[in-house]
Amino acid sequence: MSLAGTVRRRQLVTAGIGTALTLVMGAVLIMGFRLATTMRANITALQSASSLQNYPEEISHQLNTLRDRLEVRAYSGQALADLQNSVKHFDQELRQINAAGDMDSPQLQRALLLWHQYAPVIDPVIAFSGQPYVDSDSSGSSLSREGRQHYAEVKRAQLFAADNARPLQTQLASLAGSLQRASSDAAAQLRTLLLAGVLAALVLAAAAVYFQVTRARHERAARDAQEQTRDILKTVREGFFLLDANYRIGSVWSEALTRMFSRSDFAGLSFEDLLQGLVPAATLTTAMKYIKLLWGDRAHENLMKSINPLGQLEITMDNGHGGKETRFLQFDFHRVMGPEGVRHVLCSVGDITSSVLLARELHDSQENANQQLDMMLGMMHVDPLQLVSFLDTAETGLKLVNTILREPARTDAEFRKKLTGLFRELHSIKGEASALNLKSIASRVHALEDMVSECKKRAELSGNDFLPLVLKLDELLAHLRNVREMAARLTAIKDTPAAHPDTLSTSTTMPAAKLAVAAAPAPERPAVRSVEDLTPALQSMAERLAQDHAKRFRLSMSGLAEVPAPYSATIKDCLIQMLRNAAVHGIEAPDVRRANTKDTLGVVRVDFRKTSEGYELVFEDDGAGIAPEALRSAAVRKQLITEDEAAAMDTRATMALIFRPGFSTQEGVSMDAGRGVGMDVVARSVYALGGKIGVSTHPGRFTRFKIALPPADVSSTAVA
Amino acid sequence: MLYEQELKTFVEGTTNFFEVAAQQPASIGSPYLMEGSPSVHEYTGIINISGKREGVVYFTAPKAMLTVLLMKMQENDFSHETMRDLVGEVANTISGNARRDFGRDFVISVPSVVSGEKPSVPNRPGMRSFIIPINWRSHSAKLVVALA
Repeated sequence: MSLAGTVRRRQLVTAGIGTALTLVMGAVLIMGFRLATTMRANITALQSASSLQNYPEEISHQLNTLRDRLEVRAYSGQALADLQNSVKHFDQELRQINAAGDMDSPQLQRALLLWHQYAPVIDPVIAFSGQPYVDSDSSGSSLSREGRQHYAEVKRAQLFAADNARPLQTQLASLAGSLQRASSDAAAQLRTLLLAGVLAALVLAAAAVYFQVTRARHERAARDAQEQTRDILKTVREGFFLLDANYRIGSVWSEALTRMFSRSDFAGLSFEDLLQGLVPAATLTTAMKYIKLLWGDRAHENLMKSINPLGQLEITMDNGHGGKETRFLQFDFHRVMGPEGVRHVLCSVGDITSSVLLARELHDSQENANQQLDMMLGMMHVDPLQLVSFLDTAETGLKLVNTILREPARTDAEFRKKLTGLFRELHSIKGEASALNLKSIASRVHALEDMVSECKKRAELSGNDFLPLVLKLDELLAHLRNVREMAARLTAIKDTPAAHPDTLSTSTTMPAAKLAVAAAPAPERPAVRSVEDLTPALQSMAERLAQDHAKRFRLSMSGLAEVPAPYSATIKDCLIQMLRNAAVHGIEAPDVRRANTKDTLGVVRVDFRKTSEGYELVFEDDGAGIAPEALRSAAVRKQLITEDEAAAMDTRATMALIFRPGFSTQEGVSMDAGRGVGMDVVARSVYALGGKIGVSTHPGRFTRFKIALPPADVSSTAVA
Repeated sequence: MLYEQELKTFVEGTTNFFEVAAQQPASIGSPYLMEGSPSVHEYTGIINISGKREGVVYFTAPKAMLTVLLMKMQENDFSHETMRDLVGEVANTISGNARRDFGRDFVISVPSVVSGEKPSVPNRPGMRSFIIPINWRSHSAKLVVALA
């Protein structure tokens, strides 16, 4: 049995004993009262009986005295008056004793009978009122006729009294004795009763003391329990409260709720009002449905727990300083069952903000670690010099991005102009990163490109739109620094015998010493590089592109070793861009090629050669070619030209659309195409070197780009 | 990691000052990353931040801008001290905004003011320094947020 049940039972027993003892005491008092009343009557009767005992003798004596007086002719008035008085008192008191209802004594009856026998003889005596004497001169004083009769009556009464006074007295004495015994008995009973009453009172007092002590102990225990409960509710970090059947909060809750919800008016507050304004309306509706389900008899608690919509609730609260802060709360519900089903629902609320943030940090950290691992694995397949060269180029490119951002701007046009510049730089960096299969960098740059695209769509640009861009740019720079550090670490790990200059030149493994030197941040971008280094990177990029776009093609390259150093960077950028275009737009999917009776393995050919007028780069794929109509439609769709302009365009003008900024035939944006930034960059780079670029195509058969470059100034050339 | 919202809080604190004090809102130019040592104008109000983030945030403005600002505020005193008080007030507004939004996570110092000097920016690993141009009328000031 529970503590509360035991206490309750004790209280009931104590109350029962107390009631019984009270009743006993009441009965004792009533009986005692009755006994006392009887005793009082008996004592009164006893007193009367005691005083009556003397009367028969006294009456007899007074009759004697009256007779003597009459015989000597003395004055008899006083004697007669005394007699009358005695008779009167005796008669009255005897009647009073008899009148007492419960007096049913045989002695009294006999005394009354005797006294009634007195009446015929004594009544004429006491009734006498005449003159007993007559005076004469001759004979002096003598009895008158009335006197003689009176004398005779006195004499008769005196004789009667002489015979009956003692029996009457005896009866009265016996009556007194009887009354005295009755009184003694009543007194004894009263004593017993009083003793019982005292005992009952003592027991009652003891019970009362016991009850008080017990009650005090229980109250102290209850007070202690209350204090402990209060301390627990004050100290516990979780919020606790009970919900009633109307989904209202009870009168007791833990202090933590006040901190969590920045309010204290919880008593009677509905659960809906508690969450109102803190969570989206849809979440609130779901939460209320869930609470209602908890009250169902058939609801399975574990199942209910698994569908708890408030397991991790994000709420925005005042931070106490006029601002807002986000917290994560976890609500848990437990049903409190009673004999008639669910009585309450106990709700516990935990502030899991720290845990959630920690989990997020851990997740980010793990993602970062995974990315670093991927990056490291990717880097292991990249030529160290190429990697360092790329990092230098990328950093320089990002610094240029920062320079573009730094240019003062106040108007929409000025901000919009920045976006175009940012696009070109970022696209170029992404191309190189993709070529080297540095996915983590390429994806970050791609994300930054996405943000720039979003900005472009806005009707009116302001500096606020660039805040996320600059944060992302900083993040990207930090990532590049990490990559550089990782490259240096890789070098240390590999610990190749690269310290010997002799092996450096012949080794086909990673030239670690060169990497170690190059991995450190270079103050300036290397002025000269050989495009020959790009060959494996382009092969790698081709493989990735084929895989990403479900294409099959072979990349054939020749003459790239002849690229003069001043053209190496431009040729590399052009090749990357054209290779991406070929993979995305040119080469068809294998089933399409098969349907067109073409070899399922496509071919992309790159030839670089020296000509009489300088150099020529030919890039050709045997893919779908370019349909002029498709170009015109895409240009109209991108709003680069109007429909009328499109209709008026000849094939040459149409093909020139490829080199327009913002042009792309692809609808969506992917890592490799769709932004309309690429071929315009290629063309600009070629023009910047004083070269020309041309495109020829045959739909369904091939696309060929020819880039003609003037002779290079080889005096500045130096092979790294 | 510095979040966009944190950067916005500092920016709003600055632009709000112009909105309230001069009834003429300020706009921001395109933000960029600080390279090399910070460049400052004649007057600079600085708040140091510790706790969840470590670093400094400062507002640096040219004298011409502050002069026009004081005129818009119906001030007749264009003394050196008044200029210092004004940038201090801007820093104080930035500080108040940060306290409101970040609560106890950020411990923000009482603003200090320097004139013509470069504030010392603690150089910590992971320190990120952003410069946000604050354009008001034809003038331009800078808000520099350097936090790790």
